[in-house]
Amino acid sequence: MNPANLYQLAPGQNGDSAVYGILPFLPGNIRSMIAALPCSILKEIEEVRLRQGRPLVLGLSTQDIFLSVEGQPLRQAGEAYRVTPVDMERVIQMISGSSLYALEEELRSGFITLPGGHRVGITGKAVLEGGKVRTLKYLSGCNIRISREIPGASSKILSFLLDVGGSGVFHTILVSPPRCGKTTMLRDLIRQISNGVSKLGFSGLTVGVVDERSEIAACYKGVPQRDVGVRTDVLDGCPKAEGMMMLLRSMGPQVIAADEIGRHEDVDALEEVLNAGVKVITTAHGSNLADLIDRPALGRVIKSKVIERFVILGRSQGVGTVEDIIDGKSMRSTGVKRC
Amino acid sequence: MLKLVGATMVVIASGLSGLAVAGNYSRRPKELRSLRSALQMLETEVAYGVTYLPEALGQVSARCDKNVTLLFSETAAALSSMSGITATEAWETALEKYYPGTALNERDRSVLHNLGASLGISDRQDQIKHLHLAMEQIDNETAGAEEEAARNVKLWSYLGFLGGLVLVLLLY
Repeated sequence: MNPANLYQLAPGQNGDSAVYGILPFLPGNIRSMIAALPCSILKEIEEVRLRQGRPLVLGLSTQDIFLSVEGQPLRQAGEAYRVTPVDMERVIQMISGSSLYALEEELRSGFITLPGGHRVGITGKAVLEGGKVRTLKYLSGCNIRISREIPGASSKILSFLLDVGGSGVFHTILVSPPRCGKTTMLRDLIRQISNGVSKLGFSGLTVGVVDERSEIAACYKGVPQRDVGVRTDVLDGCPKAEGMMMLLRSMGPQVIAADEIGRHEDVDALEEVLNAGVKVITTAHGSNLADLIDRPALGRVIKSKVIERFVILGRSQGVGTVEDIIDGKSMRSTGVKRC
Repeated sequence: MLKLVGATMVVIASGLSGLAVAGNYSRRPKELRSLRSALQMLETEVAYGVTYLPEALGQVSARCDKNVTLLFSETAAALSSMSGITATEAWETALEKYYPGTALNERDRSVLHNLGASLGISDRQDQIKHLHLAMEQIDNETAGAEEEAARNVKLWSYLGFLGGLVLVLLLY
């Protein structure tokens, strides 16, 4: 997989052209169907879902659409183009770089990250070994999620998360259900914290990123393909718990960022980092704070009141709507509503 | 005088074609051995390096014997172009280009063809199995090819010239 070719097809990787980043991974016929869509639809596409024998679905920010055999957008599935076994075989070959053998770990966790940070979820039949998933076979469905880089996405919340003159940054967790722009927001926060924000008199901090799924920095051979700031070190593809400890010991970060904290070992490592005097910025799945408190591992950290800010994201006014920012000490809203 | 020149040309022509056939017999085991060692390199890349196939093929093409480079470099280039073709298709297209310039026969070609059908589509264990199978088959073919070479190289080198001489005698 040569990224040079991919980036030629995907000039900017941001905004409208982000969808071009995933076209090289689709079979030729589907590729041309999507490429021929009007620009207004292209920039709305968030997901491309392929399920063998069933209609091809494009997930837009507001609704799902289907495509007719001629490539026309449809509301109803009746006349829609159905994904053939050959399409499925091709798409699996393209997203795996014809190298399924190199992706055993990824198949075990059910997703592959493409160059450019686009995540592909995969379903099929699980092959078990000793009660644990060894790999997947008969791969029959995939969901390609387009990752968008939106510089400035976090500008509106930044002033609530920076502690200028104090410790620099508050311990922060971004909370939202899937598809609400958590990772995009986190990436931009990392970039701004790392570069510094002169407008707010904030000079920038050394950030260590544990990018377990290669979604934040979209590293290719270890080098970030996304702008994550000048003072950012990225540990690519590393399990979060181990990665946080490695960064803590080796890179002297002032802030550690990681995506999707949830498992027990992640939370244990998180507590270690919190106690080491390093600031933490992370994300978690949930639609509100109560959801997090109910989760066994995370609930413990939240109840201990060490996390200083919770940013609740949603889609009430489009992807990445900041629904609320909650102060972790008082557990009250900071007064930000819907922006 | 003219007859003598003609006779010499007949002998040379027939001698050279005999040498060409003999050359083919002696090239085949060499090419098979080169193929085998290239597949061995590919296996190392797949099994231990866990390198992506296009990159692995590229590395093999850079290190393997010149007479098999084409097969690996063409496949790697076709896959890296992300044109939407599968590894099997890329391998098959490269094989079409590579095969005519070799001394390999149909059986060798079908070994490579079968290997292509499984390239990159399964887990590591399975890939290793397919590569081993291909290498084993190539080993068998190599043994046969060496025997054939031992039998036929000398035979055809002489046969060409002698056949030419017989022809000259008959025509004289």
